[in-house]
Amino acid sequence: MRTGTARLDNGRISSVQLLFIFLIFEASTAILYTPARVAALAGPDSWLAVSLGDGVYGLVVLLVAVTLGKRFPDQVFTGYLPEILGRIGGKLLAAAYALAFIHMGSVFVGEASVFINTHLLFLTPPTVLDTVLAMMAIYGAYLGIEAIARENEIVLPVWLLLIVFLLLLAAKDVDISHLKPVLENGLLPVLRAALFHSSWRGEVFFLLMLYPYLSQKQEALKAGLFYLGLVIVLAVVVHTVIVGVFGDLVTAHLLFPLETLAQYISLGRFVERLEIVVIVFLTAATIVKLAVIYHSAGIAAASTLGLKNYRSALIPIVLITVALSRVLYGTNLKLLSQLFYVWPIEALIVELAIPALILLIAVIRKKGGGPLADQENS
Amino acid sequence: MAVLHWLLNLFGRNKKNGPLKKTYQVEPEKEDRTLSKRLDDNKQVLAEIFDHCGDLVEREIRIGKQGPRALLVYFDALIHYQELEEGVTKPLQASQLPQSGVTLDWLMQEAIPNTRILIYDRWVDVAGEITKGLTALLIDGQDQALLLFAMENIHRPVMMPQTESVARGSLDAFNENGRINIALLRKRLHTTRLAVEKVDVGEVSKTKISIVYLKGYVYDGLVEEIKTRLQRIRIDGVIDSGQIEELIQDAPYSPVSGIGVSERPDRVVSALLQGKAALLFDGTPFSLIVPTTLATDMQSPEDYYNRYWFASFIRMVRWGSLLISILAPAFYVAITTFHQDLIPTPFLITILASRDGVPFPGMVEALIMVLAFEILQEAGIRLPKPFGQTIGVVGAILIGQIAVTAGLVTPAVVVAIALTAIASYTLSSLNLSTGVRILRLLFIVAAGFLGLFGVMAVFTMATFQLCALRSFGVPYLAPFAPLSLGDLKDTFIRAPIWAMRMRPRLQGYVEPVKQDDNKPRPPRPR
Repeated sequence: MRTGTARLDNGRISSVQLLFIFLIFEASTAILYTPARVAALAGPDSWLAVSLGDGVYGLVVLLVAVTLGKRFPDQVFTGYLPEILGRIGGKLLAAAYALAFIHMGSVFVGEASVFINTHLLFLTPPTVLDTVLAMMAIYGAYLGIEAIARENEIVLPVWLLLIVFLLLLAAKDVDISHLKPVLENGLLPVLRAALFHSSWRGEVFFLLMLYPYLSQKQEALKAGLFYLGLVIVLAVVVHTVIVGVFGDLVTAHLLFPLETLAQYISLGRFVERLEIVVIVFLTAATIVKLAVIYHSAGIAAASTLGLKNYRSALIPIVLITVALSRVLYGTNLKLLSQLFYVWPIEALIVELAIPALILLIAVIRKKGGGPLADQENS
Repeated sequence: MAVLHWLLNLFGRNKKNGPLKKTYQVEPEKEDRTLSKRLDDNKQVLAEIFDHCGDLVEREIRIGKQGPRALLVYFDALIHYQELEEGVTKPLQASQLPQSGVTLDWLMQEAIPNTRILIYDRWVDVAGEITKGLTALLIDGQDQALLLFAMENIHRPVMMPQTESVARGSLDAFNENGRINIALLRKRLHTTRLAVEKVDVGEVSKTKISIVYLKGYVYDGLVEEIKTRLQRIRIDGVIDSGQIEELIQDAPYSPVSGIGVSERPDRVVSALLQGKAALLFDGTPFSLIVPTTLATDMQSPEDYYNRYWFASFIRMVRWGSLLISILAPAFYVAITTFHQDLIPTPFLITILASRDGVPFPGMVEALIMVLAFEILQEAGIRLPKPFGQTIGVVGAILIGQIAVTAGLVTPAVVVAIALTAIASYTLSSLNLSTGVRILRLLFIVAAGFLGLFGVMAVFTMATFQLCALRSFGVPYLAPFAPLSLGDLKDTFIRAPIWAMRMRPRLQGYVEPVKQDDNKPRPPRPR
């Protein structure tokens, strides 16, 4: 087993842990904002938009990531870029990816802190929230991918149970008429919504950065497929319930539809104020997601700069993300414009276009081991 | 200037006096002499080696009637005189010398046949054994010494456990005598699989540590790892297992060590049966169990002796208590300071009314009460036994009652702290409860500044830390993280004994199957 420089982190994660990491990506920040925008674009057909179109997109991204991973089973994406593109081009692109991860981190920090600032701690300076979130996440990243994966195994089941509980309680208020008519305006709005939402589904591209840490590499594809299946079910149920309860017009104007749903629930005048529980657990979920992103950012930065230890790159990264999120995404408005108008396109490039192009170049230039490489290595 | 010197000295950079000696240099026992054939020479060396040892007894006797002179050397306090007299002195004096003169073989087989005997010819060994309580027999004309066992075995009787009490289950506990500790295990495990390996730690104290495990059950490399970690220790003395625990734990900075502490032989036996190893000590009743996970820290031996429905229920109560004892004060602080809307309105009014006139914010209030409780607890332990309980209880009532009536704190915080205190006593693991006590303060502060968000952030950080923690290679949070579904049968619930057919996956994989299908089946009705 090669250790050290190629992988930078000696941790190992199982395919189940990989699946859980993907799920927390979806379940933390993705279902926070998106139902509103999807409902605005696709109307009553939200559930259709988040099931078909982005499922296909996710599959393509997954296949690209797995194929690339198989060619370089012992290295992270940013590590083998110079091998494919040549030293200068590869390093530049790797640096760009490191920056992209940092940028993603700052978006999610901003997202969580704005959310908490609007609902939980109104008077706390957002910088404090940013810093605390980022510090906790960076601590996880510092401990390594293994610790993050294990933490996730505690956070995700609780969080998913909470969501299911929430949806069950809200299910009695679902009005089927809110979901009709189906495909009133044809397929185009649904596709647009799907395109928008697929950027979240494409987060499966983090596999590129996690592939070398997998203990059973041949199961990466299986984990990814499981993820897509589960996440489509999750997204469809969440969107159906939210649109079913509020109707698409109201949903489109909600800031945080899931949180509003939690507020809406009242069981016997006893189980109430669930949104606080949601917010609190969302904090944990976001920290885990951030930790994964920071870990990838640290690894990317370290492999770009040729550092022996990615941990030394984490401090600058956390400073940059906190500052960035304050400057760029300090308010809900800035955040929404980023998430709704910029991120989908950015995601299309970062998640699919570039990796696909890299894969193409790798195939043409015959770089990396063949498809059998991983069986020999694992 | 003096301060500066002191500071420089502190960092070991005082050039004038040379750098501070940072490496521990074991004073080698420079003794490399061997015994001489002449008893008088040996006597001289003895006087040199045991200079100032006032309790050393040198007793000269004669072997047989006209045999050579011999010298018995021992420490007064360590010797069982009757045994020495009956087993050594009298037989020696009464023995008939053979034709060939006194030989060691003759001595061992005929003259003093009843005792275990060691033979050494280097002074360092002889002196070492004498300090352990053996009696040295030096004979004129022999350049080897016989070391005889006639020890006074000083120990408490086997008593009830002090820290891990159960309602049902065995009532004996380890004590300060390493032999008795091993005997308690041997009495429970009549098998040659039970391996006992001894390691001496401490250059001065030479504390005997026994590594105990079941051959064939323990996973690869565990015993070797324990041994290397123990042998790496270079220290002057070891007084309690706590020191060893700190020296061999995986993560030096972790508040939880990941090493189990127990004074109950039944707990150690069940750990051994799961494929773990234990360290028994001379000088302390507290043995160490490795590897230990959070799940095992939360178990009580009694869980396995009670009915499984009840045991499962109690397990869940205990896990709930763990959360309460960590989070209850923090929740109180967070809710009264930030999230008043979480409380039903009538109750909120009551709380606010009682808070009227209390000068402190919720966080300070809670910190005061927690610290007062810690002081009480500490006082309860330190006070002479007869006072302990009384003072504890009375102090609690006084502080609770008077602090409320004086308007220093609200009744609600007293309730929260009392609940915390009681909940923390359900934790059977000393290590865990001390960790919880520290963590509690952190949570209160986090709640005071950032409300439930802060609580969750610290909770995430703490779990991150625990996730990264390993105990001799086994993740501390297994079987939750990494998840192994099969092992959840012995965590929040305690499955029926007959349903737990497999050992825990991560430490018992060498012999995975624990038992046959033992599910009881009633006879067919006739």
